[in-house]
Amino acid sequence: MGKPKGLRRVNDPPLLILTSLAEGPKHGYALAQDIGEFAGVQLSPGALYGAIARLEERGLIEALPEVERRRPYRVTAAGSAELAEAMREMRRVVDVGTHRLGLLQGRLA
Amino acid sequence: MTESHPRPHHNLKWYPRTWRDRYGADCEQFLEDQYGDRPLPLSARLSMVRSGTVERLRSGGIIGSSVDPDTRVRGASLLVLCAWGVFIVAGSVFAKYTEHWPLATPSVDHWLPATAMAAVQAAAAVGVVIVILAGLACLPAFVQFTRSEGWRALWRLTRPMILSGIAAGAASTGIVAWNNHVGPSTTTPLGLRIAGVLAGLVVIAALAVSLATLISLVYRLRISSRITRVLGVLAVAMTLALAVIFAGALTWWISTALHAPWFFGSLVPQSPTSPAPLPMIVLGLMMLSGLVLAGIAAVRIATLRSHDGGTASPMAS
Repeated sequence: MGKPKGLRRVNDPPLLILTSLAEGPKHGYALAQDIGEFAGVQLSPGALYGAIARLEERGLIEALPEVERRRPYRVTAAGSAELAEAMREMRRVVDVGTHRLGLLQGRLA
Repeated sequence: MTESHPRPHHNLKWYPRTWRDRYGADCEQFLEDQYGDRPLPLSARLSMVRSGTVERLRSGGIIGSSVDPDTRVRGASLLVLCAWGVFIVAGSVFAKYTEHWPLATPSVDHWLPATAMAAVQAAAAVGVVIVILAGLACLPAFVQFTRSEGWRALWRLTRPMILSGIAAGAASTGIVAWNNHVGPSTTTPLGLRIAGVLAGLVVIAALAVSLATLISLVYRLRISSRITRVLGVLAVAMTLALAVIFAGALTWWISTALHAPWFFGSLVPQSPTSPAPLPMIVLGLMMLSGLVLAGIAAVRIATLRSHDGGTASPMAS
């Protein structure tokens, strides 16, 4: 049986990129690999670099000097704050959903 | 065996130059890391086409708010120019399709469709005047461009427009000459009809190429903020003119459908005919899509505020 789509997917590229960069600076390929592992989402080149451009434009991530032709990106303070806010919002939804379903958090996994 | 698939950098051509300068090398490296020597999958290529198009629209000021106000007004004005191009095509077919309507409509019912048609013609004339005024406003910047870049650069840029214009002129002349040769008493031969449709397509293609060339040219001109504001006001005025054309055409359609529906069919009074023939539906949808485009652009111009980068909306002055 394949992976369920829709409700269990958090596949907004900017959110995934910020979440990945919260661990430390990464270049494009490392980002795509990490996101694939922790979220099961394969970002296309267009989606990945479109999101990188928007995040950098908004000052949420910044580029570091190139390393072996690959340019790493890191999350800025503003990006960390925005990611934290997004996590709080998602947490509220998770808490409400968990409560209303009568499920214990530990049994959701 | 030769490489039959486009190399990664070909896919980057969809992106604007500024984006390629910033992210091009990095993106190419990503593609190399991700796909190696394998050809890019179709889904990856399509994602780059979509993303590149979005970036082009963004950098041209047509969507988003990441560019300066002048670029945004310029992009929105060019969008209105494209909408006008759609109306040129739809309006030309509409004029041809409806040219004998007074013969089919009872005289007592002439007033409303005649007024609507007059409004359409007046608004179309206003639209032409607006385009001429916009051209005149850009003339100093155009002269400056030819002085700095030279005629050779201008020729390279405008060559597609000139050649397609010549092709459209030749096709139209050929059709008119053939039609005159056949004469009015003979039923139109199938060959002439097919040739007429093909000539029409050539003219539409020439118009599209001309618009694309003009857009490319206008983005290269150094247009001052003052002239850009003028273009913004003209674009909003053009949107109003297009709205009048659409409203007039719709009024004419409804009026004729109510009082002389046989005009859309056999032309025999009282004969049963659909009041919504396919050509009118297509023309109506074309005009509506053009009007929506222009409306979006006009809203982008009118809602430009000082916090968007220091320039107020052209409509605020």
